[in-house]
Parts: sequence; structure tokens; C-alpha cells
Amino acid sequence: MSKTALRQATREALANASVCSALGRFADNYVIAREQAYRHKDFEGLRREVARIKREAAERMEELADQFTREATRRGATVFRAATAQDAREYIARLARSRGIKTIVKSKSMASEEIHLNEYLKEQGLDAVETDLGEWIIQLSSQRPSHMVMPAIHLSRNEVAEIFSKEIGEPVEPDISSMVKLARRELRKKFLSAWMGISGGNIAVAETGTIVMVTNEGNGRLTTTLPPVHVIIVGLEKLVPRFTDVAPILEVLPRSATAQHITTYVTMITGAVPAVDPDGNYHEKKELHIILLDNGRTRMAGDPVFKEALQCVRCAACLNVCPIYQLVGGVFGDVYTGGIGTVLTAFFTDPQKAQQVQNLCLGCERCRDYCSGNIDLPGLIGELRRRTVEKEGMSYVQRVIFEKVLVNRGVFHRLLKAASRLQKPFTREGKIRHLPLFLAGLTEGRSLPAIAEIPFRERVDRLPRPGRVTDRVAFFSGCLVDFVYPGIGESVAKVLASLGFEMLCPEGQTCCGYPARQVGLTDSFAELARQNIAAFENINAGYVLTACPTCAEALKFLYPQLLADDPVWSKRARALAEKVTDFSSFVFAHREKLVPFMIPLKQKVTYHDSCHLKRRLRVTGEPRQLLIDAGAELVEMTPADLCCGFGGSYSIKFPELSRSVLDRKLQAVLGSGAEVVALDCPGCQMQISGGLDHERRPMRVMHTAEILASCLAGTAQAQDGKNN
Amino acid sequence: MAINKAVLPDTDRNLEKLYEEFVTRARALGAEVYRVPNLAQARELVGRLIQEMGVRKVALAESPLVTALDLATAVAGAGAEVTGGNPRERAEAADLGISSFEMAIAETGTLVQDATEINRRLVSMLPPVHLALVPTNRLVGTLQEAINSLAARGQIPGYLAFVSGPSRTADIERVLTIGVHGPGKVVIIFVDGGGSAGE
Ligand code: SF4
Repeated sequence: MSKTALRQATREALANASVCSALGRFADNYVIAREQAYRHKDFEGLRREVARIKREAAERMEELADQFTREATRRGATVFRAATAQDAREYIARLARSRGIKTIVKSKSMASEEIHLNEYLKEQGLDAVETDLGEWIIQLSSQRPSHMVMPAIHLSRNEVAEIFSKEIGEPVEPDISSMVKLARRELRKKFLSAWMGISGGNIAVAETGTIVMVTNEGNGRLTTTLPPVHVIIVGLEKLVPRFTDVAPILEVLPRSATAQHITTYVTMITGAVPAVDPDGNYHEKKELHIILLDNGRTRMAGDPVFKEALQCVRCAACLNVCPIYQLVGGVFGDVYTGGIGTVLTAFFTDPQKAQQVQNLCLGCERCRDYCSGNIDLPGLIGELRRRTVEKEGMSYVQRVIFEKVLVNRGVFHRLLKAASRLQKPFTREGKIRHLPLFLAGLTEGRSLPAIAEIPFRERVDRLPRPGRVTDRVAFFSGCLVDFVYPGIGESVAKVLASLGFEMLCPEGQTCCGYPARQVGLTDSFAELARQNIAAFENINAGYVLTACPTCAEALKFLYPQLLADDPVWSKRARALAEKVTDFSSFVFAHREKLVPFMIPLKQKVTYHDSCHLKRRLRVTGEPRQLLIDAGAELVEMTPADLCCGFGGSYSIKFPELSRSVLDRKLQAVLGSGAEVVALDCPGCQMQISGGLDHERRPMRVMHTAEILASCLAGTAQAQDGKNN
Repeated sequence: MAINKAVLPDTDRNLEKLYEEFVTRARALGAEVYRVPNLAQARELVGRLIQEMGVRKVALAESPLVTALDLATAVAGAGAEVTGGNPRERAEAADLGISSFEMAIAETGTLVQDATEINRRLVSMLPPVHLALVPTNRLVGTLQEAINSLAARGQIPGYLAFVSGPSRTADIERVLTIGVHGPGKVVIIFVDGGGSAGE
């Protein structure tokens, strides 16, 4: 898939109202319902347990596969180890042919989707009917599932009615309950006449040779009960060592997948059991075949980074909370979709496609908090990106920007200054509303702030200073504060001054490098990291403050990771990381000194949780308390932690998507009834204020530092910081 | 059916709590739950439910509890008949399937059955209504406890069925719809003293 094709597909998905509305509706309810399903449960503890079990299983994959084979065989099953998708498909077709079987029923199995079984069986003249309602709909309309758990979520009832009426050759009313009855009736016939059933499995227990399946409709139970031949396709990553390992997985899977405490049916099959065939003959033991599918899993287990993906239990929570998946559905992926889908696609189905699809990740990191397998998905996608760039390279222009311009402070700053002059014709009231030519996408549905005439770095000599210096704090400004919102930096200085802190701004600092990392240029990222570490090393201050959570994430978490293997730099990176903190957390720790000086704000303020602040720095309560301290009337928007869609260079690559995510955010913001939106991230500030400006909404968007500074009129000794 | 707790002297407090929890969960899932103090009343209740639901044809899966209840007589007494033919035909022709379960999990409203025997699977899946009998003293608190107790048994049965409420789907527009492939109605009767029926 080419980049253009991908962008085209995302546009089409955005234009398809039923994808957006069904997914969006589900997603909004999902978070709340899931929360309830986990009440009285320790999600963190459970997922750590699941991760531990699955990690052990991935490390012992081969041994467990052998043990499983032995045990299941002892109980009367035939186990086949399929190295590739082709092996698995052929085995099934051969089996059907040798038993003279023509009619097959299937219950939902992602592994069978992965090996494109249906198409293959059809080519072989075999009639395999999907019996999960969603899968059946998908099969009848010759589509592919858009979601691991809810395959037909992108279709409306009207579309389903049309699909059904084509199938049965008479008109069908778009009434859900009668369509479900129709499916029961039609599929019951298939069940009763089928000689082979094919199912997947959610867990495979090595110790006992047991396959565990979770289903709601009951088609899984019929598939595994009626036909006298049963084939189970299960990926090697579903193996767990012990029978008791089933419990924690069963606790998280339904809760995370559909916010159920448990699915209607949980079926555990251990070996061959009795059956009665369609002719009414009793079989003491049916034929049970279990296909253990490799198809890239051993390779994944051997990969030092991606083996973590084997901890996945396929709950699809990462899809359900993904702002991009909610907008485009199945376009985000291949057979497997969403964040984890991108990684699985790279290993199991279509590495080429994965290279394009990984671009769709916005980097909001929300999925990490919800993952039942405790997987660092954003980290894995970042690694995928890095490897893609390493292998495929990137466009010449991009390379020049990142490898030549960004890492060279002088050139970078001169360029931005030039840009500040060049943008003049497009600027009005400090905002850019239209850009020419290929840059137009950037201002599609969103105004951009103009680049500041005087960057923050040239204002440091005139920053507010405390009357009496009690201590010093170093400030890392980052590009957005430096060149777009210097006023934030000045506000930080003012607040610090009133607390008695002098703010030091080391000269050698430069871009944190996050954008380079985002496009997969690790070398440029490391170069910038080293420049910044060196710049702050000799500063006499106990803390390094940032007013940008993305910079904080880079300095505090990513530098030590990035330089971990470098004996000299890893120590220096860790020394810097320890000192880094975000503005609100720092001020929160000293708030009792601040409160007496503040003139109450007396305005309705709503707070936007920036992704990196909440998900990486774990800061949510501190800024809110500071706003309350400042006399604001805090009104929550729902959801407060929905991504704004900025995502750095993402808004350049996929302006439509970025804009659609922003639309959902603006709805939440405007719905709060607040006069001011407070936040702690200049990137979000740019995105949200740009969106509001474009809609001509007069609401103000301010960094928490700016709000606090505005309540401190006259307390600091130097002149007021003003934006721009 | 309301139970007068005073007539249940030997059920301990913990069991009562588990039962309450089970009822809350199972009803939330859409199951009907009853409890009877002894086998005789269980038989009587089955007969009455058959009449109330207007059931004509019943499929039974034998088990010590089902045998002890002499359900064939109860079915006939309620004016319905037990279906005939091979096991598939018996289950497919019935309006109601009856089988017994060995364990109940309070926290999730789940029933657990060793369904290795084919009739149990057929009568609990093919008819539109399923009536599940379970000895009250087989209630456990959590899923974890249930799994642990199964693991401790040694050999895991060939086919274990965990059932929580009626069959459901939300595959069209995420609208919850009951009774897609399995029974659309699940009636559960807890039988006090049912555990001594040789189960
Ligand atoms: S990656 Fe995590 S959240 Fe996503 S499907 Fe797998 S277990 Fe669930």
C-alpha cells in the first residue's frame, strides 16, 4: 500500500458516517462501562500477572508447544504444527477432502482470518460458513473484519438488512431483533448439516492440553458440539504453562474487550469428546484436530523488542481507546487492526503494509494505559517506525530538515527567524489562517499561531527575577515555547520569581529531538539528546523545568532509554533525567507559598489533559489544584483526556485525521461551558486554540503557567511577560 | 419465588451471601433465578414453570440430580412431553431443555457444567429456553476459586461449559440482542439439598 493510497483510504473512512458514528459511540461508552466492569478488581495487578504469564510462555514457546502436543494427544486430539499460513490452510483442506466433507461451519477466529482461510477453502470448492453474526455479515458482503472483537461495527442496520436480503432473496426490514432471528434460523440449518467445525482458541494450556474459548452468541459452542470433526486453529502465542493461568486472563479479557465481567460462554475443551453426526450416529470420540500456528510467532519471540507483543490477549482495548481507530476503523491496519494490529501485521500478514500503516499512530500513548497485557505499544510502534526508516530511508527533504537543520542550532534558529518574516503576509492578529500550496493542509480547519518575532531565547535577559533569590531552577524551553509561545516561558519565570526562584536558561539547549524520533531518525534524536545533556550538565540547579510535557518525556524517559548502551552518555542522561520535572508538579510542591499572592481569577475554567502529561508523567491533579488555588471555578469537560489530535508532525502528514480528532475535542471543550481552557502543553495549545479560532469561538486557551502568572500581577519585580 | 429464610436452618451465612451476589449478577445478565428448599419442591416448580411458559416439548439431559427429581414424571404431569428420536432430534425439537450444573460462581452469575456427555451440550444449546438446576451448596465466590477447584481435581473434563445468562450479541450497531444461537431465556433453579443427590 502506498502512502497516497493510505491517505485516500483514511479520507474515505472519514467520509463514511457509519464508521465514525458507531465506533465513536461505542468508544465513548466503552471507557465508562469498562471502568465499572473493573470495579473491585485490581486491573494493574491483574495485567502485571497476565504479562508475567505470557512473557514466560513466550520465552518457553517451543517447550510449551511440545508439552501441549503431548497432553492434547494423550486426550485423543491430533495436533499439527503449522509453520506457515499455507501449511495450516492445506492441512484443513486435505482433511476435509480425505473425509469427503463439503460443509463446514466456523466460529470466530482471528487466526483463520490471518491465514485467509475462507478464500482458500472456497477456491478448493469447500463451503465454509461463518457463524458469528458479525463475521457472517462480513462474509456475506465479502469484506474484512474492521475490529478484532466486533467485526461488523462499521456497518449500519440498513446496510445489514441489504446484505441479508441479498442472501435470502427476499426483502428484510432493518430491524435488529428480527434480523438476529433471521440469522439464528438460517445459521441453525448450517450447523445441523455441517460435518466439520472450525474454531479459534483464546488460551491453550500446555499442562493439560486444554483450549479455552470465550464467546457470547453460542456459535462457538455449537461449532464445537455438532459437527463430528472439529478443527481448532490457535497461534503459538496463546499458550500458557498452567491451567491456573487461565484465571487472570479470563478476568481481563471480557472486561477489557466489551466491559463484561465474563462472556456468556466460556468453553474449555480437553481432548476428543462424544458427538452425534448429522445422520444421527453416535461417536464415542469425535475427531479433534488442533493446529498450532507459527506464521511469524517464533520470529517474534526471538526479537528482543517485539517479543513483548506476544503478551497480547487480543482484547482490542487498544483499538477501543485509539482516537484514530475511532475515526477510520479497519483502515488502521490489515487483518489485525489498530495499534497492536500494526505490529502483528508487520510479523504475521503484510510487512509492507505495516510500514505505511504505522504512520497512522498519533503518538498519544493512551493505549498503553488500557492494555491487558501491559504492553508498551507506543514504544513498539516507535521501534517499527525506526526500523522502517532504517530500511527504507525517508524523503530527501525530510532528511535534510532533520539531519542537517534540526541538529544544527544556528541554522535551525536562522531558518525560523526567516520564517517569522516570510509568514507576515499570511498573519492576522497573531494567527495564520491560510497557507499557500502544499502547506494548505496545515491550516485546514485550524489556524496556526504565527512564529514569534522575538524568540524566547532573546528575551532571557529581561525575565522577571525574584526580589531575594532563595534557589535556582533551570528551564528547558523547547521549540514551541521558544519560537511560538515565548509568553509561556515568561510566565514560568514570573511564577518562579514570586516563589523566590531564579530561572536559568542554559544557552546550548536546542530542540528536544522528539520530532526526529517521531519520524524514526534515531541518530538525529541521539545527537540532539547529547547536545541538551551537555547544555544542562554544568548548570548549578537542582531542577530542570519544562512547560512542555513532550520535552519532559524526552528528557526524563526517552534519553536514558536511547543512550542506555552508551557507557559514558547513559550516566549523564540519567543524571539529567532525575532533575527533570514539569511546571505544574514543581509549582504544586511549593503552592502554599504562592497562594497568598494570588488575585482570584473568578472565571470558569476547564482543563485539558495533555496525553504526554497524563500518560507519561502521570500528572492530572496538580494543575487542577493550582487552578482552584488561583480562584478558578473548575468545570470538567468529558472526556478531558481525549487527545487533541496535534501529534507534532502528524498534523502535517494526516491533516484530515488530525482535524477530525480535534473536532471531537472541540465538542468536549465547548460543551463544558467554560470561558477558558487551561492546559499544560504548548502543542495542545496550538491545536485547540487554532481550532477555536477557525470556528470563530472567542474562548481563551492558556497554559497553566500563564493563568497563574496573570493572577500574580505586580508581585514579581520585573516587567510583565506578555504573549508574543 | 420468595424463600422464607427461616425454613433454611442449615445453610450458613456465607452461602446466603454468595447466593445473593449470584442472583444480582445473573439477573443483571437477564437470567431468571429461583431457589427451592428440597427436591420435592424443585419437582413441583419445574412442573409449574413448564405450564406457565406454555412449553409442549421438553428435552432432558440425564444426571444424578435430574434422575433424583424424576423429571420425566414432572414433565408429563405438567401436560408436556419428553421428545424422542436421536439426541440431536430430541434437543432440536424441544421448546425447553433441562440439565444440571455442578458449580455456580457468585461474582459473575456463572454456572459451570461438565458437558463432556453430548446430551448436556445439546439440550443446553439447541432449544430456545434452558432450565438449569444446580445444588445450592455448590456456590463458590469467584472465578479464580472455580478455576482453582477444577485444577485441583486432577484430570480436566473433556468439555467444560461456563454459562452466564442467555446467548447474546451486539454485532449490529452495538445494540444488545438476546438469543442469537443459544437459548434466549435461561432459568436457574438452586436446589437446597440437591448436592446430596449423588452429584
Ligand atoms: S495489545 Fe493490549 S490492549 Fe491491545 S489487544 Fe493486545 S492485550 Fe488488548
